[in-house]
Amino acid sequence: MAILETHDLTKRFDELVAVDRVNLSVEAGEFRSVIGPNGAGKTTLFNTITGALRASEGEVVFEGEDVTALPSYERVRRGIGRSFQITNVFGGLTALENVRLAAQSIPSREMSVGSQLFRDKNRFDDVTAHAQRVLEDVGLGEHAETKASTLAYGDQRRLEIGLVLATDPEVVLLDEPTAGMGVEETESTMALVDDVLAEQTLLLIEHDIDLVMDVSDKITVLNRGSVVRTGTPEEVASDEEVQAAYLGGGHA
Amino acid sequence: MVTGGTLLTQLLNGLSVGMVYVLLAAGLSIIFGVMDVINFAHGEFYALGAYLAVGIAAALSGVTGGFWIALVAAPLIVGVIGGLTERVTIRPLYGRNPLYHILLTFGLVLVIADGIEIIWGTQPKNFAPPALLSGPITIAGFQYSLYNYFVIAVGALIAAGTWLALTETRVGIIIRGGSQDRGMVRALGIDIDRYYTLVFAFGCVLAAFAGIVLGAKQEVALGMGNAIIIPAFVVVVLGGLGSFRGAVVGGLGIGIVQTLTQTYVPALTGVIVYLLMVGILLVKPQGLFGNPEWQNHGGEEGDLLTGGGGGILDTTTRRYLAAALVGVLALVPLGIGVTYSSYIPNSLVLNVLVWALFALSLDFVMGYAGLVSLGHVLFYGVGAYATVMMAMYVTPVFWVGLLAGVALALAVAWFVGYLSIRVSGVYFAMITLGFAQLAYNLVTKFDITGGSDGLYTGYDATYGLGIGEVGQVSLLGDIQLFYYVVLALVVGSYLVARQIMRAPFGSVLQAIRESEDRAEFLGYDTVEYKRRAFMVSGGLAGLAGGLATINSFGVGPSFLFWLKSGEVIVMTLLGGMGTLYGPMLGAGAFLGLKEILLTFGESTPGLLGEVLSQWQGILGLIFVVFVIYVPEGLVSLPETLQARFGAGGGGGGESATDATDAEVSD
Ligand SMILES: Nc1ncnc2c1ncn2[C@@H]1O[C@H](COP(=O)(O)OP(=O)(O)O)[C@@H](O)[C@H]1O
Ligand SMILES: [Mg+2]
Repeated sequence: MAILETHDLTKRFDELVAVDRVNLSVEAGEFRSVIGPNGAGKTTLFNTITGALRASEGEVVFEGEDVTALPSYERVRRGIGRSFQITNVFGGLTALENVRLAAQSIPSREMSVGSQLFRDKNRFDDVTAHAQRVLEDVGLGEHAETKASTLAYGDQRRLEIGLVLATDPEVVLLDEPTAGMGVEETESTMALVDDVLAEQTLLLIEHDIDLVMDVSDKITVLNRGSVVRTGTPEEVASDEEVQAAYLGGGHA
Repeated sequence: MVTGGTLLTQLLNGLSVGMVYVLLAAGLSIIFGVMDVINFAHGEFYALGAYLAVGIAAALSGVTGGFWIALVAAPLIVGVIGGLTERVTIRPLYGRNPLYHILLTFGLVLVIADGIEIIWGTQPKNFAPPALLSGPITIAGFQYSLYNYFVIAVGALIAAGTWLALTETRVGIIIRGGSQDRGMVRALGIDIDRYYTLVFAFGCVLAAFAGIVLGAKQEVALGMGNAIIIPAFVVVVLGGLGSFRGAVVGGLGIGIVQTLTQTYVPALTGVIVYLLMVGILLVKPQGLFGNPEWQNHGGEEGDLLTGGGGGILDTTTRRYLAAALVGVLALVPLGIGVTYSSYIPNSLVLNVLVWALFALSLDFVMGYAGLVSLGHVLFYGVGAYATVMMAMYVTPVFWVGLLAGVALALAVAWFVGYLSIRVSGVYFAMITLGFAQLAYNLVTKFDITGGSDGLYTGYDATYGLGIGEVGQVSLLGDIQLFYYVVLALVVGSYLVARQIMRAPFGSVLQAIRESEDRAEFLGYDTVEYKRRAFMVSGGLAGLAGGLATINSFGVGPSFLFWLKSGEVIVMTLLGGMGTLYGPMLGAGAFLGLKEILLTFGESTPGLLGEVLSQWQGILGLIFVVFVIYVPEGLVSLPETLQARFGAGGGGGGESATDATDAEVSD
């Protein structure tokens, strides 16, 4: 069964149609990559799915429920997690506190007003333990007490993945998690994604098709807001229209 | 009956006042649009223009055309002063959060206002228009003031000239483009930053000109800048931040609405403008002609700088220091009669404690949730009014009044927060300012709130135990019980606030301050969190207001005056926002310094004494220096000093490990 679907999802900015009647159907456990040249509408598609932007038309259906009208934090609570293309962590807080905040999100709804307001945040053992585990998982165990803004760039990207992971999502949308990384870092990050997010359904944005060939179950190619093709990596790679779109999109 | 004649008179009156608004708002709006600077000092440049003109005209008395020379020369001088001000004070702040411009220009307000007072004294100046322009004139059977015609005509001329300059000259087109979409202008490869000084100076010229024409119509007096700046903001907000057209339409519109309400709906005088402001901001935050994209051009904004983790002092040391401070405060009353009079504890220190609590309440939202409330005096004033009114009309028991004050402040904070928190950044700041001004004008209108005189009462049957009046329960001689009650409440409030910041709720507030987007995508309903924080903060401010009424024996409209909002922001930043205790220390530093300056000023003869007595200006100057060089406040000083002068020692790696402390500092 599809865990995440979009029906004719459309997002317009004035005249510009950034996302144009996109239909996606992602199976539970699938690793789906969304590729396309810069400006194809990938980030906007993610923003519309996660609720950062309101859809102009169409629907987003998650686990059978129409979530199109829900605010983004409600979608997160239902199990849609995301990372950002531009690193977005809490720079002034420690790495552990970053992840702890993520781990606290869901349990905090069950807390009494009294403990929400007055109980020491570090005395919720489940939350702290969960946060520490996630931090280990993304390889930042040694940097627990380091301020996020002083972490190396690659570590900040890892922390960002940790933030998503700690909210316990069903579906994870990653927007170019390797943006701005060198070859080695890119490889280790892709390995990390494949490793720690193995149980989740994954949607991953990349503009470099080569990077996702091996790891993806399916690839959706986006160009000028529309889906050009969805298929297995092999199908997509051999598709003439895809090649045309990529070359036409000015991407080598 | 409304006759055609009076209506026409009213409309013309409205237009002439409106023209003054247009001149002010045009400058404010362009300055905001191009530079992102909310210039609170604009009203002072306006006043400075008027005073300079008075000075020039007086120097030229006897020379025919003195008025005309002043009308041209004074704005040019103000323009030069404005340009220099931009260079020296505002320039270092570009790239920081726009809040710092608000803070800086607020400091400038204090400096310029006191500068004017030192030079020209406190007496209002008469500045008559030349004989050529005085008296009424009859056109087509309709008699009206010639000078008002002159104001309208010359205002229209300047506005039209400005418009032509903005649309027809190269520099103008760049500036206008920049005020609507800076990113776009930059994308065209134009270095818009180079024009900042010019824009700021030009805005000041317009403001000075407005000051002169209105000054000659009314009078040139201290406080004229304070009185006009808020309505001018209303105009800018109404027309749309950054829009010249908006400034023109908004200015004329507000001028006419104001005069018409004064005549036909006097009950709404002073209120209507702020109702309009709040309404527009809620329905269409970008105003009538503003660029809707302003709402989310947050990308290039800098962060609010919070006062680190106490840097070189470790947690235990700080805890000892805090305990020692509270101990000293507890001992202060024992010095009565020995080293000082009862004034020190029962008035000065008490006042400091109350303001410390008020500053704490602001820091709770500004330093932690990143909500910049320019109208925080609203909650302080509401708390004060409710406390006094409860005592006067219901029961004199002080506790009940205080509770009522906190409860009403909470309720008002809930209401304002419910309506406004979804509106972001600068607009939120403006809405809170609008609500506060609304309340300020409302309390003067009703007998039940004591009109413009206020309400005065003692709190009888104190503490509900029938042991006397608040402020009159003596423990020993002049040592008062209420001193300890206030001390306990303030320290208690701090401990509660600190505990909240260490709990899950507070941790989310800090996450919101760091990145609201990210917090929302962790599943937090950030708007709801901010609303709740705003309520807590409003309640604390209400408590401060209620306590303040003990010392003042009551409450008056000054409890709601916008300058108080400014002062509490000054204290918060001075001390170091985002630390809870920093702003409280800031309140102490602010009021302590004020006291010292006043005392020395009184006992020092001559000009120096006079200058020292202008405590606001000196504090303003200190504040300006702080905003530029020590934005993290007093609490960051030890660290900053060590970094600059300390030999080797710690090194830079520390900041990382200090971060744990920084989240919630003692
Ligand atoms: N907030 C916005 N307002 C207006 N246009 C936007 C906005 N966000 C994206 N766009 C436009 O939508 C198009 C798609 O952008 P984006 O989704 O970021 O592409 P991608 O992530 O594939 O590089 C681009 O032309 C971009 O300029
Ligand atoms: Mg993108």
